[in-house]
Amino acid sequence: MTWSSFIKIIVKYWPMFLRGAGVTLYIAIIGTIIGAIIGLIIGTIRTIPLPDNKAKRAILKVINTLLSMYVEVFRGTPMIVQAMVIYYGSLMLFNIDMNKMFAGIFIISINTGAYTAEIVRGGIISVDKGQFEASHAIGMNHIKTMLYVVLPQVVRNILPAMGNEFVINIKDSSVLNVISVTELFYQTSSVTGNVFRFFEPFLIASIIYLVMTLTVTRILRLIEKKMDGPENFNVIPGNQMQVARPEDMVKNSEQTRH
Amino acid sequence: MDNIIEVRHLSKSFGDNEILSDINFAVNRGEVVCIIGASGSGKSTLLRCINLLEKPSGGEILYHDNNVLDNKHDVYAYRTKLGMVFQQFNLFINHNVLSNCTIGQMKVLHRNKEEAEEVAMKYLRVVGMDQYINAKPRQLSGGMKQRVAIARALSMEPDVLLFDEPTSALDPEMVGEVLTVMKDLAKTGLTMLVVTHEMGFANEVADRVVFMDQGLIAEEGTPKEIFNNPKQERTREFLRRILRDAKPE
Ligand SMILES: Nc1ncnc2c1ncn2[C@@H]1O[C@H](COP(=O)(O)OP(=O)(O)OP(=O)(O)O)[C@@H](O)[C@H]1O
Ligand SMILES: [Mg+2]
Repeated sequence: MTWSSFIKIIVKYWPMFLRGAGVTLYIAIIGTIIGAIIGLIIGTIRTIPLPDNKAKRAILKVINTLLSMYVEVFRGTPMIVQAMVIYYGSLMLFNIDMNKMFAGIFIISINTGAYTAEIVRGGIISVDKGQFEASHAIGMNHIKTMLYVVLPQVVRNILPAMGNEFVINIKDSSVLNVISVTELFYQTSSVTGNVFRFFEPFLIASIIYLVMTLTVTRILRLIEKKMDGPENFNVIPGNQMQVARPEDMVKNSEQTRH
Repeated sequence: MDNIIEVRHLSKSFGDNEILSDINFAVNRGEVVCIIGASGSGKSTLLRCINLLEKPSGGEILYHDNNVLDNKHDVYAYRTKLGMVFQQFNLFINHNVLSNCTIGQMKVLHRNKEEAEEVAMKYLRVVGMDQYINAKPRQLSGGMKQRVAIARALSMEPDVLLFDEPTSALDPEMVGEVLTVMKDLAKTGLTMLVVTHEMGFANEVADRVVFMDQGLIAEEGTPKEIFNNPKQERTREFLRRILRDAKPE
């Protein structure tokens, strides 16, 4: 490699790299968010306690079996193969010519969903049983318990794992070049076709990938911190209280005892 | 009398293990009923059966004369009528103090935010936690958490408040603050069903004391009857043991 050709390629082709990086980031962001939503929904369904009613029980069991199959299939096959099967399959079998970008987001989402479903299920199971009981005790049903109490805790707890999924999606979206999604790998390949050199364009691509993944990791750390809220809280001064401080209360109870 | 909850022939088994058998008793409006008994005698299970956190194996639970074990009965609406205070507090850890007291009002009773906050503040003042509305549960001491948990239950304005050993998980110096709040509540005429190991509290506050032994109600009476003049040998035995443990010197 010569330093000058490296510079030349950047100067001449930066718009292609930039567009590729943009598409990669776009697919990764949307795919991770949709995948997370799929995972949260599936995780929630898979943790519904089995109802007593026989018919409802049977329906839930069928749904759970289907969901397990979905998770197994997408975790058990390579995404590059899924991309081919889904894109060309829908074309051949159903005569649907998917928009390439849509196909890319679809494949990333559905994969992330399969992985996240398991992460979410683990997250739900690890929430303290007392949180469920307290929710039920004030009259919340399963859905309300999930929405207002359990899932917010799960989301906080799985955020590091989701960050990991996001990073994986930035990298693995590169396989979508097989169905000609114009993400960073695809654009880099196009550049190599123009300059007849491989090393420099892909070195540039790897630097861009690295910058994206490192940035995303940092941003997620910040979000985690933000979600935890401040370490300290403000005591709101006021004097309409019956009992001001724990110490006073102890005093009170001592007085009543005498 | 105007009874709110009546339990008839209630039984509960876990597998082959019968934990509760043929429990009969009632809680009347304005009454404070304390349930005492040895560890493992089924006190928590009884309380959890009453608000259907556990599914009873047999018998009836009447709420204002309607059997809540009927399939048609709306479990969720029924639960809003019973407040529950847990030994382990179980505050919603993702919500701050105020929000712990408003979330149920808003999402279950469909009160608007303003009204819910007003009600919450009223009860947070009652328990002396209105200064801490912005705190997250992890930032509070055990006694404070339990007072918030009481305010959370009160905010739903239930007919009865159930307590399952509300002071057992507390450091000794924090037991007093929670008991004081509970005594104050009892004076306001709130109906309370309290599982407790605090015999002093039961003696002072209870209208009736229920002594449970091995899944049965062994004896029931006024605090005077139970503490000064128990009829059953096993009640005497239990009280002797617990009083000895309470005063190690
Ligand atoms: N989910 C369960 N599955 C099986 N057995 C259970 C379950 N919950 C409680 N038990 C058993 O039921 C019995 C009564 O338990 P319970 O918690 O009601 O006692 P308790 O009177 O509240 O005791 P403590 O004073 O220790 O709280 C115990 O022997 C316990 O092991
Ligand atoms: Mg118990």
